[in-house]
Amino acid sequence: MKAAVLTALLFAATATAQWLTYPTPDVPRTKDGKANLTAPAPRMADGHPDLAGVWNTQPGYTGNLAKDLKPGEVSFQPWAEELYNHRVSTEGKEDPQAYCVLSGVPRENVVPYPFKFLNSKGEIVILYEALHSYRQIFMDGRPLPKEPNPAWMGYSVGHWDGDTLIVESKGFEENNWLDNSGHPGTEMMRLTEKFRRIDFGHMNVEMTIDDPKAYKKPWTVKLVFTANPDTELIEYVCDENEKDLKHLVGK
Amino acid sequence: MKRSWSLFGLIPALALTASAQWVNYPTVGIPRTANGSPDMNGKVPKAADGKPDLSGVWEAEDQTYFRDLADGLSPDAVVLTPWAQALQKQREERDHVDDPLAKCLPHGVPRVNTNGMFPFKIIQTPALVVILYEQLGLFRQIFLDGRKLAADPNPSWLGYSTGRWDGDTLVVETSGFNDKTWLDTFKGRPASEQLRVTERFRRNTFGNMEVRATIDDPKAFTKPWTTTPQKMHLQLNTDILEFSCNENEKDLQHQVIK
Repeated sequence: MKAAVLTALLFAATATAQWLTYPTPDVPRTKDGKANLTAPAPRMADGHPDLAGVWNTQPGYTGNLAKDLKPGEVSFQPWAEELYNHRVSTEGKEDPQAYCVLSGVPRENVVPYPFKFLNSKGEIVILYEALHSYRQIFMDGRPLPKEPNPAWMGYSVGHWDGDTLIVESKGFEENNWLDNSGHPGTEMMRLTEKFRRIDFGHMNVEMTIDDPKAYKKPWTVKLVFTANPDTELIEYVCDENEKDLKHLVGK
Repeated sequence: MKRSWSLFGLIPALALTASAQWVNYPTVGIPRTANGSPDMNGKVPKAADGKPDLSGVWEAEDQTYFRDLADGLSPDAVVLTPWAQALQKQREERDHVDDPLAKCLPHGVPRVNTNGMFPFKIIQTPALVVILYEQLGLFRQIFLDGRKLAADPNPSWLGYSTGRWDGDTLVVETSGFNDKTWLDTFKGRPASEQLRVTERFRRNTFGNMEVRATIDDPKAFTKPWTTTPQKMHLQLNTDILEFSCNENEKDLQHQVIK
């Protein structure tokens, strides 16, 4: 529940003025009225797990997506290692996110702001509180585009493998930052995300980064999202009253 | 291959990248005329719950209401309070350099619907309608689950929205705004935290929707006023693109006061 605690701290100032306490319908509850996070995962009419709802990421990956991996599992190409070291040593002063540019995926999956999955006809939409952004995952069987315009969020298609939603994405920006420390991503990146809601309150997530331009082999990050019912996303406007940039001087 | 664009969309800029996008992926369920072309006057599709289905990619017919939200109304229909008059005058005298949209700040409601250069996508589910806007990559959530508007919401650019069906019209009520929004671009009409917007979305045919917005803001206007019907057109075989306002931004340095 660390994520919930972190979120509570961030939002405490405005909690009473928001829709942050409006009860989510169809939430399984324990006797004391709290959401029962270990109740079975809800299912959609077609039998697949229903991923809809507000989620929080597992804390700890914002700074370094690869924090759990052993040395060598993230096997940089030489130029990418040089760039990564530069980004670390300059304390992230070139981070596009600091300039309110979209942070894209997989980074949006590891920031300490909630996000909301939504089912629609032929697609799953994820609304991200961070940077007030969204992503469409097409479930209508279309192939990934051959030569997409580079985008921070990329282009995503999904399909079900049993109870696991598999999302394939490509078409990313060249100068991508996969986390705060600056693991590089390039236009060649393919991202595969596997989402499996194991019970009401938990979703196992696997993210595989396959970017032969930046890394000698694919690498995979595993973490768990926690359901965050009875609350809502709030508006996040990066450019408003921005006071940080002048302090971002690096070394 | 990055798309070049102008924040105010006065320069058509969409043609450059069309071949590289999902903009030609076919829309499903298009009614056809006898000769096989899309029948934009065809029947309005229904959602599973029997309501009109507003889902799809839409775009304002042109920039009429983006420029002047009161287009087509008589001057005595839209009467600014002295507070609003002074603010509007200041905005004009400063040559519109203070428009939040130029600083990548959200354009507020109902202005967000009105820019005919950028499409938006309606995602309709029974208890929640989400609108994804291409410009600034914004989204709005409209709750149809019976909740009331918050009594004392944290001020925001896009407000807090609830919706209900009045026959075939989706009626969206929004409050909880900050006092920084501009209701339109050329006029720069102000709004205050007291602003309450009622939008009425009515899909008339397969390809056409009309939106009327009522502006009720006793601090800015002496009485509520309602726009003439804003025409929105369904965009076929296309999708919204990513828009990252701060990326490669070159305009702001040219925003200078005369």
